[in-house]
Amino acid sequence: MRGATFGDGCDTVGPVSVDVNAGERVTLVCSSAREAAITAKLGAGLVKATAGSVSIGEFDPRVQPVHCKRIAAFVPHAALALPEMEFERYIAYRAALWNVDRRRATAHAKLILERLQGVHEAFAFPLAGALITPATLVVLERPQPAYAEQIVAAVGSRSMFSTHLERAAAELFANVAVQA
Amino acid sequence: MTTRAFAAVVEARVFSQRHTLVYGLVAAGLVGAVQPRGLAAPAFFCSLVGIVAALQQGPGRFMDLDLCEQCAPLFGRELARAKALVPCAIAVVAAAAYCATASLAGWRGIPATFAYTIAAAVPATLTALCATLRTGPARRLYLVMAAAASGIVVAIVVWTRVPWAAGAFAALAAFLALRQYGEALARYDPV
Repeated sequence: MRGATFGDGCDTVGPVSVDVNAGERVTLVCSSAREAAITAKLGAGLVKATAGSVSIGEFDPRVQPVHCKRIAAFVPHAALALPEMEFERYIAYRAALWNVDRRRATAHAKLILERLQGVHEAFAFPLAGALITPATLVVLERPQPAYAEQIVAAVGSRSMFSTHLERAAAELFANVAVQA
Repeated sequence: MTTRAFAAVVEARVFSQRHTLVYGLVAAGLVGAVQPRGLAAPAFFCSLVGIVAALQQGPGRFMDLDLCEQCAPLFGRELARAKALVPCAIAVVAAAAYCATASLAGWRGIPATFAYTIAAAVPATLTALCATLRTGPARRLYLVMAAAASGIVVAIVVWTRVPWAAGAFAALAAFLALRQYGEALARYDPV
């Protein structure tokens, strides 16, 4: 992101300049939950910058949003509404949207859940749903600091960009060691 | 968009709107038994059911589905077609329930009534979908246009007695509304 700004008439977020290289973990401290949400969505190509530029891989979300979404997987801060989404059905749904083989996706998701041991299902399912995709960049909106180790282990060697409200949480995600 | 992704979006949306589907079906059946004659009643009632089902597709009501769909590598117009199928199906099911009970109550013009009801309800439903991505006066305008689309189809049938004209108007209005919804979905920023 180079001076990426988003304005919708109510408030303005940015300018934000961030580079995330392959395999890198980058964190950003934001001043409000709304800013953290919009910045993460800018980074994932879900929201289009009104000024400045965003490039995901070689693609611009304003011109090639579908290409960007193949590269970046977004994980929201909000918990999944569990009564509506039972695990296998949720993974099958996400796999169908990304055209990933259902059985492989379910097996992969179960492995990811093992890595996310201790993480509440409502937070683990969306992360597992994002990680079954072939995306090489994982964008997290205000991930729970209590689950930093498990989240970083599950993300593995993929690039990771996360937004936070507290500096301590950002440092935790940036510095936690990846377990072999 | 693959057929599998299309089916997944439709299935998830139908599952999340199953209550609306049942309420629409039961309510249409009851109204069909009470008012089994004429075209205006089924057309307007089923259009209303379709508009309510369409408005439920708006952002914020099923946030998990919205987010999964927005994150997925799907084009706006493809997603629009999948999302539009669900409220249209609910409107068609309501029309079928209405005609079924009207038939039991002795109404004989069922095939024509069913066809005209769908011709009125589908463009109204698709126009209402465009309202879901807008706020303020634009949203109200789309809702008025949805009601107007249904009213125009009924007016063409009742006053001109030219079925193909009603069908042509319904097809054109539905096509334009679906195209507009796809464009709006592609430009939409989920903040």
